[in-house]
Parts: sequence; structure tokens; C-alpha cells
Amino acid sequence: MTTLAAPGEALRSGPGYWWHSYRMMLRWELTSLRMVLAITIIVQILSGAGFVLALGLFFGQVPPRAALFVSTGVLVVTLVTIGLVLGPQLVAMQKAEKTYDFLWSLPVPRPTAALAWVTTNLILGLPGMAVALGVALLRYDLDLHVTWAIVPAVLLTLFTGTMVGYALAHSLGNPMLIIAITQMLIFVIIGFSPISFPAEQLPGWLAAIHRWLPLAPMADTVRAGLTQGVVEDVTRSYLVLGAWAAVSVGVTTVVLGRRG
Amino acid sequence: MAEAEHDWSLRVRDLVKSFKEVRANDGIDLTVEPGEVYGLLGPNGAGKSTLVKQVIGLLAPDSGTITLGPHDLVADPDAARQLCSYLPQAQMPIASFRSREAIDITGMIRGGDRETVARRRDELIEALDIGEWRDTVGAKLSGGVRRLVGFAMVTACPGRMVVLDEPTNDVDPLRRRLLWQEVRRLGDAGVAVLLVTHNVMEAEKAVDRLAVIDRGRLLAEGTPSSLKAEDRGRLRLQVMLAPRVETPELPAFVQHHTRVGHNLMTVIAEEEAVHAIGWAQELIGLGLAEEYALGATTLEDVYIRLTGDVEAAGREAAS
Repeated sequence: MTTLAAPGEALRSGPGYWWHSYRMMLRWELTSLRMVLAITIIVQILSGAGFVLALGLFFGQVPPRAALFVSTGVLVVTLVTIGLVLGPQLVAMQKAEKTYDFLWSLPVPRPTAALAWVTTNLILGLPGMAVALGVALLRYDLDLHVTWAIVPAVLLTLFTGTMVGYALAHSLGNPMLIIAITQMLIFVIIGFSPISFPAEQLPGWLAAIHRWLPLAPMADTVRAGLTQGVVEDVTRSYLVLGAWAAVSVGVTTVVLGRRG
Repeated sequence: MAEAEHDWSLRVRDLVKSFKEVRANDGIDLTVEPGEVYGLLGPNGAGKSTLVKQVIGLLAPDSGTITLGPHDLVADPDAARQLCSYLPQAQMPIASFRSREAIDITGMIRGGDRETVARRRDELIEALDIGEWRDTVGAKLSGGVRRLVGFAMVTACPGRMVVLDEPTNDVDPLRRRLLWQEVRRLGDAGVAVLLVTHNVMEAEKAVDRLAVIDRGRLLAEGTPSSLKAEDRGRLRLQVMLAPRVETPELPAFVQHHTRVGHNLMTVIAEEEAVHAIGWAQELIGLGLAEEYALGATTLEDVYIRLTGDVEAAGREAAS
């Protein structure tokens, strides 16, 4: 006696199918990362808080403006490294181990798989971000003005970071190239992006490039949600960030829709 | 019920797919009926995986059609993914999944409801005799058990068609038989099974029909017996040569031969059996051979004749 049910005549579709697929893919992602989930969150917490504290160890007395920039910048670094670095590396691994085809043969709408991954990034990134902010408040006596704008800023930053990483990982066929690019990205994010310091401190040409890259706008939007009078023209940052989000969603849609 | 309205056959017609200069599929036609276990045999690089990936919606053909029941799988890859369940040749990415979780989640992703999937999962775990590893995470499973869990994952809610790429890789002989029984059951439940393999001996026992494919073209198609029909009246004489012995001069009655390692396989006419045995015994007497076996020709002889893939013979000899 078998419980093998005859499949339905009609294909699944509609909001119920999308919601079910999203929940199942989220469960798949969280279960896949189960063994590294706790450790990843802890690493995120330690690296975020550690970055904030290390600044004080380096300089002893940290000027309030520098403390404010680093403390708010670290939050962005914590939020986007998973989507921009870990995410593509996981995809590279799937490609190298040839499990990629199985995952993309699963009958779920592609956007639900992407959204499940964005949600996973939120779960992985938020604790580190919250702890880093708490540590910064305790250590530097920051002058913060938290407004509701922090919510869309965090969500858009996380979404854009995750989708840029997603587009990158799915566009490139060679796993080693994906890993090499993401390794380089870490240096760009931490050392050469006006995330934890003002853009004026960069050479003019690099600052000009960053006006059109997503990293500085990410820092600006998040900072604008936490401070007052520090960020000028946050609307432009939202627009640039929104454009990057749209482009990476577009690229991902084309790449995942492409069938060789 | 609408069930009777559709013929849920997979129909592939004049399928062409090229990668740069290479025509990986060069005008393939085949039909897999519901309930049929259909083997796709061919050496490495024959175009099997390319064909399969087009069926499940991961690759688009250059030309040709693929339909399953009323659905055009080329135009609607989402339909392909819903209707076809796929076990790839590579291991499943389930290092941190307990076996039962991996089966449950995949079954539910494939559209099964929780209770049905749970019942089917228990049934599969029992049928494949992997209960011992029910709560073990994938990272701790042997290759064979992981393969069986993969099979259970894709057949927990199989849809209309199941594509199995070398499903028995790494699986022990006892559980291989259990797996083939489950494949048969899928067929009995009306699911079309497309089995990709280069293990000819296993395929011969498991499939209803099969196609031999090489260099992107379908070389032959039919039931195992119909494919062997041309070899009726012939026998296979297999001679295990002694180590470091050159292939001896072959008598005129040997119609064709293949040598892999020490294993010399010849095909002879039935009426030459007595002479053939005499020749083999003579080789043993001269110390050139260690043993011989005379038997009916198998699908493998057909396969080697069609593809020239002596690797298969090597695998058979090794097993």
C-alpha cells in the first residue's frame, strides 16, 4: 500500500503557492546553515562589537564625530557582509559541488527563493548590528537621534546588499572567480568605502566614484536614521540605493531566467 | 474526472542543443509513457545530462519541442519544475539536514501537504531500509545512504515524472534492490521515470524501455529484449586471460571481441559453442587464460556494439 498520491491536474499558482514556497525556502536556508548559524551570528556580533571597541584601543580618546561615524558605519558593515560576501561564497560552493542544479530544479517561484535568502540575511545580520550599536552607546556616549527612518534604511541596505551579492553570484559561472571577487569586496567595504569615515577623507576621484556605488548611500541612509544633522541629502542616497536594488533584482531575474 | 483527458506522456521531438561547436543533442525524439521506467544509456559526454536538463527546465533547446501532458516544458520551465522531480548525479546539499527533515522539506516544497509527506517519508525510509539514519545529519551519512535519502527526497512528492541520474551510485547491493523496487512502484503509481545511467546491467533489469544515446544522437530505442533481438542466435564467451598475456590469435568463429584489462569478451554463433569451449580450454591449458564463461549475449553487448564504449565492459568485469 503506498501513500503516493496522484498529482493534481492543475499547476500550483497564486499567493498561497508563493507564500508556501517562501516559507519552505526559508526553512531550507535556515536548516542548511544550521551548523554554522550560531557561529555566524556570534562572529557577526564579535566582529561588529570588536570593531567598535578596537577603535578606542587604537586611539585612546576618540573624537565624538569619529566615534559616531565608526559606530554607525559598523552597523552597515555587519548588515551587508553576509549578503555581499558569505552569500556569493555559498553559491560558489553549490556550483563547485554541483548541487546548484538540484536547488534550481525545485518548484518554487524564483523571487520567493531570493526573498527567503534576504530574510535569512536579516536573521543573521540583525543581532550583530544591535549588539554593535549597544556596545558603541556604552563605550562612546553617542549622541543618537533614532527615528523611524532607521527601519526602511536597514531594510533597503540589507536588501540591496543581499541582491547585489545574489546577482554577482548567479551571473558568474566560475566558483573561484566568485570567491576571489568577494574576498576583494571585504577590503573595499572595510578599507576603501566611506562607510566608517566621511567621504571627504578619500581622494577626490574615489569619493566621486562612491557617489554612484551603493556602499556610501547605505551608510548615509542608516546614519540618517540614527543621527541628526550628520547626513546631508539622504534622499539622493535612497535614490542611488533604490537604483542599485532595482538593477540587481533585474540582473538576477535575467540570469535566473536564462536557461543556457 | 479530468485525469482521463490528458495523456501524460513526455514527448521530446527533434531536440537540438548546441554548446558552441558541439551539438550535445542532435535531433532527439523520444516518448516516455506514464508508468514507464525509461532508461537513457550512453557513455560520458553522450548528451544525456543536456537532454535531462532541458526536460526539467534548466536549459532551453536551440530547437525542438518537449511536452508533458498538456504542458509545453520549453515555453514554461516553471511547469517543468512542478511536474518533474530531479535526482542529480551529484550528492544532495543536505550536510546539516537530518534525513527525515530533508525528505519532509523537499516533499513539501514539491507541493505535498505535511501529513501525506510524513506518511510517505516513513514508507520510503522503511522501504529503503534506512531507518537507522532517520535522525542523522547528512554530513554523517555514508555516500550510499545519502544517495538513498536523496532518492526519498525527490520521490516524496514526485509529480508526473521523476528523473534519476545514476541513482544507485555508492549504494550497497542489497539496498540497490530495494531502490529498484521503489522505482518500479513509482511506475506502478503512474509516474513516468527517466533513468539516466551508464550501468547497462542494472538498467537491463530495471527498465521497461530504453534508448542508447551517443554523440547527441539516439542510436537505438526499444525494450531490452527487442534491442537484443539482433544478437539472437549468438552467445558471449568471456575469457579471463592470465596476467601480462597478449590477446591471443582469435579463431574465425569469433564475430567480434572487446578486451578490457584481462577480460576478453567475444561474441560467437550458437552453433560454434562446442568449438568455442574447446578453444577456451586450450587457452587455459596453455596457461594463457585462467577461466572462461559462456552465456547469452546481454544488453551490454548491444550497448558496446552501438557505442564502442568499452568502459562499460570494464565496469562489468570489475563488478
